Amino acid sequence: MKPPVFDYVSPATLEEAIQALSAPDDGDVKVLAGGQSLVPLLNLRLSQPGLIVDINGLDELTGITEEAGYLTVGALVRQREAELSDVVRTACPLLHEAIPLIGHTAIRNRGTVGGSIAHADPAAELPTVAACLDAELVARGPGGERTIPAADFFTGFFTTALAEDEILTAVRVRSVGPATGAAYEEVARRHGDFAMAGVAAQVRLDGDTVAEARIAISGVDLAPVRATKAEAALAGRTVDDSILDEAADAAVADLSPSSDLHGSAAYRKHVAGVLIRKAVAAAAARAREAR
Amino acid sequence: MAGGSAISGLVGARVHRKEDRTILTGTGRYIDDVQERGMLHCHFLRSTVAHGRITSIDVSAAREVEGVVRVFTGADMSAITEDLSFAQPIPGLNSPSYPAIARDVVRFVGEPVALVVAESRYIAEDAAALIEIEYDLLEPVMSTAAGLAEGATQLFDDVPGNVVHTDEQLFGDIEAAFAQADHVVTQSLDQHRWACNPMETRGGVATYETGSGQLTYEASTQTTHTLRFLLAGWIRHPIHQFRVTANNIGGGFGLKFSAYREDVAVCAAAKAIGGTVKWVEDRNEHLVAAGAAREEQLTLEAAVKADGTLLGLRVTMKLDAGAYPINPPATVYAGLVRTTLPGPYKLPAYQFRHHIVATNKASYISLRGPWAVETLVRERLMDKIAHTCGISPVEVRNRNLITLDDQPTKMITNVTLENVTAAETFQKLVEMVDLDAVRREQEAARAEGRLLGFGVGTFIEPAPGTQEFWAAVGFPFGSEPCRIRIEIDGKVTAFTPQTPHGQSHETTLSQLIADELGVGFDDIRIVYGDTDATPFSMLGTGGSRAATMASGAVVYGSRELRKRLLEIASHILEASVDDLDIADGVVSVKGAPGASVPIAQIAMGCWLAPEQMPPGTNTEMEFVANYDGEGGGFSQASHACWIEVDQQTGKIEIKRFLVVEDCGKMINPAVVEGQVIGGIAMGVGGMLLEHSAYADDGQYLAATFMDYLMPSAPELPEIEIEHLEFESDKVVGSRGVGEGGTVLAPAALLNAIDDALAQVGRERVTETPVTPTRMLELLGVIEKE
Amino acid sequence: MKTREITVTVNGRKRTVTVEVRRTLADFLREDLGLTATHLGCEHGVCGACTVVVDGHTERSCTQLAVQADGREITTVEGLAGPDGELHPVQQALRDNHSFQCGFCTPGFVMSIYGMCEEKKAGRSVPCSRAAIREELSGNICRCTGYQSIVDGAEAALAGAGSDTGKDA
Ligand SMILES: Cc1cc2nc3c(=O)[nH]c(=O)nc-3n(C[C@H](O)[C@H](O)[C@H](O)COP(=O)(O)OP(=O)(O)OC[C@H]3O[C@@H](n4cnc5c(N)ncnc54)[C@H](O)[C@@H]3O)c2cc1C
Ligand code: FES
Ligand code: FES
Repeated sequence: MKPPVFDYVSPATLEEAIQALSAPDDGDVKVLAGGQSLVPLLNLRLSQPGLIVDINGLDELTGITEEAGYLTVGALVRQREAELSDVVRTACPLLHEAIPLIGHTAIRNRGTVGGSIAHADPAAELPTVAACLDAELVARGPGGERTIPAADFFTGFFTTALAEDEILTAVRVRSVGPATGAAYEEVARRHGDFAMAGVAAQVRLDGDTVAEARIAISGVDLAPVRATKAEAALAGRTVDDSILDEAADAAVADLSPSSDLHGSAAYRKHVAGVLIRKAVAAAAARAREAR
Repeated sequence: MAGGSAISGLVGARVHRKEDRTILTGTGRYIDDVQERGMLHCHFLRSTVAHGRITSIDVSAAREVEGVVRVFTGADMSAITEDLSFAQPIPGLNSPSYPAIARDVVRFVGEPVALVVAESRYIAEDAAALIEIEYDLLEPVMSTAAGLAEGATQLFDDVPGNVVHTDEQLFGDIEAAFAQADHVVTQSLDQHRWACNPMETRGGVATYETGSGQLTYEASTQTTHTLRFLLAGWIRHPIHQFRVTANNIGGGFGLKFSAYREDVAVCAAAKAIGGTVKWVEDRNEHLVAAGAAREEQLTLEAAVKADGTLLGLRVTMKLDAGAYPINPPATVYAGLVRTTLPGPYKLPAYQFRHHIVATNKASYISLRGPWAVETLVRERLMDKIAHTCGISPVEVRNRNLITLDDQPTKMITNVTLENVTAAETFQKLVEMVDLDAVRREQEAARAEGRLLGFGVGTFIEPAPGTQEFWAAVGFPFGSEPCRIRIEIDGKVTAFTPQTPHGQSHETTLSQLIADELGVGFDDIRIVYGDTDATPFSMLGTGGSRAATMASGAVVYGSRELRKRLLEIASHILEASVDDLDIADGVVSVKGAPGASVPIAQIAMGCWLAPEQMPPGTNTEMEFVANYDGEGGGFSQASHACWIEVDQQTGKIEIKRFLVVEDCGKMINPAVVEGQVIGGIAMGVGGMLLEHSAYADDGQYLAATFMDYLMPSAPELPEIEIEHLEFESDKVVGSRGVGEGGTVLAPAALLNAIDDALAQVGRERVTETPVTPTRMLELLGVIEKE
Repeated sequence: MKTREITVTVNGRKRTVTVEVRRTLADFLREDLGLTATHLGCEHGVCGACTVVVDGHTERSCTQLAVQADGREITTVEGLAGPDGELHPVQQALRDNHSFQCGFCTPGFVMSIYGMCEEKKAGRSVPCSRAAIREELSGNICRCTGYQSIVDGAEAALAGAGSDTGKDA
């Protein structure tokens, strides 16, 4: 379990990094951020890039800012930094709730927000949060910067809309307003494991009724799934047990997850419904408190 | 000799461990820490197919890689080694021999097919990736049922029908028992494969000195002496020129009891190349290829009276042995299960039948209490009998348990039980648990929609067992030696064949010596591992023997040396031996502390000028004691487990876990508790999380720690332990506790799960592990796939 | 470029070494610097045996490259005990509680608990209940102990940290 041979560059600027990614090369090029997914894959030789572009020196990719109703988290922000950030907690409670569910402290001390999203593990928390909130994913390539909506970003199993020579630079979400609550619920075999299924929910209330519900599910498809039918079922309604059941049933009906060692398809499907009920109820309760 | 220790002091106290300073400062020498000049690194290329004939292997590109020193194919390796054979004169045992590196046929995913030796592990792996192998695929046999099926593919020519061994043994009048039965209670269990997974994997460093012809193998092993004599034959090396050593060992749990084909290849490579080569198994290799345990299917049929009294028991076991035999032979596992299964219960008649079946998987290996399935199925059967007869799980055990008053008595498997207190531990457990309150709490929880479960279990642990016990199993009991030396300065060195890997023997044996000899704890060193220094034993550290056997050896050895010291001192001090005492390394006359002589002074005289020592005294300051175990014995425990089942997610939380254990005299309670709790953690992990799973095509599914789920701290409960220290009249009243936690915890846990299921009218668990998916299937929430 | 010169400060000592770029930090520490206390239990980030403190944070040394440590400050278990061999308070607390058995996982736990204690001393809120300690230690696997004794030791170490009696590495 030792990494294969590769070339390695650690550019000091984003320009140089993009150049390095675009330079012709005899093998795969891989961006290295926190390395918490990539280095295990290298050790197992499941990833055998010809060149590694280490972006850890790119200060342009760091920093958490809130401006004009948007929270921007640099791609290179360590998950742990975002977890402890007051700005994140107030501007995006869903992110704040989700991050502690990623692995363990030592993983989050190194793993980055952008790395998790770029890696696009269908069971991971941050892609699910991004899908839930319609995050804007900011990418830079040789042709300049573009913003990719989350709905277009996650294109499949561990695949994204990023081109090989593009770098994810930041994640942008709309800051929450009043009467909004969020929750992330998941079931993993052990503490810190990738979840068998997870649900991100954010609810905005108007009085007692749901003004907007956002729900995304992890672990049940090749990429995070937005539960649009459940969201629609909740809109304009008061959250109670029967409407939760209705929303969960609506979401689950469309799912056809696959089985693995950790959970059967039937299990994932069932638990997704359970988690929708839990997460939406918790988010609504928090929204009520935030009125 | 009187019972107990000569001097009480350290024995029984929570003495700080000798081992801790080393391990906490990271100054130990685990196998991967070994770095020798010019050391080369090994990497095994392993089969990617479960069953196939090697039609071609091309290593030429690998040999060209810069930094590669040697590449061995199966043919290359076979030219310099013998095939491994674990065959023993056991009737009916089909134990095929096999090469260190596969030559013709591969029989499991992960079987070594080539060995690359290079200047670094990185380079060795680069080269291995360039080796090209072609296989003619053969049908893989992936279960005992498939292996036994008519027309099944045969793994080996010399294992007809894939049956490694089959046997049936009858004890008592089983027909009569069933004829008298009011009820026949049946139960079956299909246990999954799970593994030892010590945090340190297997590995070894072999050094061949071309001048002298000496070979040294430093290994991560539980048994240096056995490893030495087995390897010597297979690598064709004269044993007097072969030394095996072990230093810090990062856990073993039974896995490191055997010698493995990789050991053979690494030693042979060092000889062939002439230098030092290192192999450290990585976790991926370990999970795929090191072997796993516990894959057994049992069916039980019990004849019982209406009041729950056991009359007879019929048991059938199928054991999935994987492809290749290791040490001990699989018959030992079957023998252990058969012999131990009646446990601490009165059982008048018993029939046990087993089939050990070869399959295309990694070897079935020892795992902490390799017989454990007997306790698991028996304790679950007791609960089912209780259910059938309408009595409580407590009552059914009380009606059948053998109490101290019943002893000595013989188990139906011809093993004498004496001083066995399983019933007493169970009694104590029951006193500590208000069963009615437990039921009321469960009812209240159900009213709130919550589901609680409660389970108990009890057992005996052959730690070390008795002569009769091991004879019934078909394995040597063996006495235990220890060489103790009082050094020239009065300090003490003891040489033990134990190879401790977490069991704290450096501490416990020092405690015993300190008390027996009256020397300071810090003035004692325990030497282990080195076959050049330690006395021979087949067994090393395993089978929870040390608490009795190694302790006995140091106690007897210390007492002999103490006698010699006192005799010499009695001359010097002109006092009778009976009036002397030793404390803090000084022999003095009781009540006259001024009249004293340091051990150092006696020892120096004995070593340097024995002829000047008092005439007629024994001046040998070194003594090898051999302890026969005084008949040996058992330890015992009862467990109670409280769980809550989340009926929506199927997750099981252990709310409380209570242990009442009796291992006799505790040498160091902190060590006992560590073993008990660690053992329970392993049992819980095995039942709920861990699974060495294969796909139908023989691919291995849990090849990383992301998929092989070791329990971590949040998955485990706080464990409460109550000790009963039943003291026999033997000199060494300590019994082992190394394996019991792992043996009994699964039973208490599964009983608790069954209890929860019963409350909502569902069927019992018949297959493990009890994953959240399985739990929801059992609860009827989701369909089984 | 397949090799690169890096300068790292390990346990207070500055070192400049040329390493292969694919070398993991763990192998660099263990093999190139001879600091073998940092153990490898899985080499894919799960077991925590290789945990070290980098620039004040606990990190895995198996899931980063040595070249990435260029310019950074690393503390390993070898850096904790005093020069006279006096155990660090974290090590002492673990010893007092008989926390470990075979010792293979131990350096990783020592560094994780040391990291928690340092955070506490720095005024960060560190969860100190037994359940919270269990969660915080979930990234370290021990096969021997069942964790209870480690939690005992961590509890004691955390109780001692922040009282300013703890000696810094
Ligand atoms: C034991 C363990 C447990 C874990 N548990 C969880 C968990 O429960 N949930 C979870 O979500 N994750 C978990 N992870 C993964 C962890 O969150 C990773 O940090 C994350 O998946 C990847 O982030 P990274 O910064 O480490 O990225 P890297 O590992 O450096 O990169 C991952 C991939 O993304 C690409 N990439 C990274 N950054 C960029 C960028 N800015 N632009 C373009 N491409 C980029 C890389 O090329 C690579 O393909 C776990 C990891 C471990 C080792
Ligand atoms: S070796 Fe690094 S986490 Fe296991
Ligand atoms: S003490 Fe052995 S792995 Fe933790």
